[in-house]
Amino acid sequence: MIHSATKSGVTMDQQYLAALARSAGLEKALAEFPDDVAAAAAQALDTAGAVQFPTDPAVEPWPPMQAGIGL
Amino acid sequence: MSELHWMTAVEASRAFAAKTLSPVEYLSALLKRIDALDPKLHAFIRLDADAAMAAAKAAEAEIVAGRIRGPLHGVPVGVKDIIDVAGLPTTGHSKILVDNIAKTDAVVIQKLRQAGAIMIGKLSTHEFAIGGPSHDLPFPAARNPWNPDHHPGGSSSGSGSGVAAGLFPMALGTDTGGSVRNPASACGIVGLKPTYGLVSRRGVFPLSYTLDHVGPLTRTVADNALMLDTIAGYDPEDPGSAATQSCYFGRLLGRGVRDLRIGFVRHFHEKDMPAHPEVTAALEDVARVLQAEGAEVHSVTLPSLNEFSGINRVILGSEAWSIHAPWLRTRPGDYGKLARRRLMPGAFINAGDYVSSQRRRLQLIAAVEDVMRDYDVLMCASSMDPASNIHDDVETNRTYPRQARTPFNTTGHPAIAMMSGLASTGLPTSVQFVGRNFDEATVFRVAAAYERATNWASRKPPIG
Repeated sequence: MIHSATKSGVTMDQQYLAALARSAGLEKALAEFPDDVAAAAAQALDTAGAVQFPTDPAVEPWPPMQAGIGL
Repeated sequence: MSELHWMTAVEASRAFAAKTLSPVEYLSALLKRIDALDPKLHAFIRLDADAAMAAAKAAEAEIVAGRIRGPLHGVPVGVKDIIDVAGLPTTGHSKILVDNIAKTDAVVIQKLRQAGAIMIGKLSTHEFAIGGPSHDLPFPAARNPWNPDHHPGGSSSGSGSGVAAGLFPMALGTDTGGSVRNPASACGIVGLKPTYGLVSRRGVFPLSYTLDHVGPLTRTVADNALMLDTIAGYDPEDPGSAATQSCYFGRLLGRGVRDLRIGFVRHFHEKDMPAHPEVTAALEDVARVLQAEGAEVHSVTLPSLNEFSGINRVILGSEAWSIHAPWLRTRPGDYGKLARRRLMPGAFINAGDYVSSQRRRLQLIAAVEDVMRDYDVLMCASSMDPASNIHDDVETNRTYPRQARTPFNTTGHPAIAMMSGLASTGLPTSVQFVGRNFDEATVFRVAAAYERATNWASRKPPIG
């Protein structure tokens, strides 16, 4: 049984969670450590859900692409 | 000094040069202490005593012949076991890499060897620098010398434990979300996360490419600066390496803090993540000491800890997943439970959130830069609580994330953690000083002034 509730109260549908895990290639982990997979998914949901992302399209990511640097 | 194992690297180096102590004599004293204490502390995954003794004899011969390579010549150094030392396994404290023999030295090891330092062995870490403290790994978890029932922080856990216990005077650690500064805080020593790109990461097993740093752990600020002098420098084969000139980072150690402006980020520990009262009281004492030494200390405001830690977790989770996905897909049972849980979230973070986090990161960097324009150094909490009992999973899970270190992995600024006092439990409390990019010299200047004005560096754990 996969438990997918998160601290923030957001839940991930269990079938969706299993489908995501399989699409990430985690079939073996899902079979052997379903609680760990569910905990990881819950942590990801909690984390990404709590972050305020920029709304201004002009804000670029760090580090910037710099041609030739470090090659 | 009657107890050789408490000598700092600076003191040992002077004694070697004056020929009042030999590297062999010094190493022998340390090996004796390791033999007595490491069964309790588990700082080592692998002690390399024979190779270390051969190196000590070679150093002794060179020093006697007058060929002194520098201040680390003959000084033993411990190495976190995600850093390659040629001929030894780099296990990451994991079953996954238990037979992974390093073919070459990491760049930081090459630099230390060129300076004449002696590699004494490979040290405990949280599994792959993230999964710990754990009790389901091939090697035991390191313990805190102030109380071996308590954890020593991590992930550079053996580095912190061993330096604090007098098993070696200095060690290398790595810091992705605070992993040099956490053991320094828990064990009452000095740990520096340098500016991103100042120290090469080549030959270090990665956790998160844009957050990983290599840094020194020592018992004194002067030793820390000395080690940074040796390991810093541009590496054209590390894509994150900064094209800066290495310089004498200890050049301002004796200057004091008169007229320096220090911004105190009180909201981290007062509002964002209220600290243990003894940690808070110790931080206010630090501010008073620095003011008494002549610094101006003012409260400043940065983005909240939650913002920094959220961004750090998305980036770290995504980058760590890209590294570990092949093993998590095929060998999930070869990870310990904590590492498995902490490395898999990246499988559930989408690419857009990762890129958006890197975009928000640029704004966070700009926010810190804005404040740093008006201040020479920032000070803030490191750990919000003294180290918990290593077998109390509930308390460890509660307190471990309560820290103010990840902001400066996210922004790349240099940050040092050091002892600020002893809690009523007898465990260390800590403070953190943060500098402008590549201005480690000023960070060391403030840390050294605080160290001189207090007696914390002379306090030793009640072990052995």
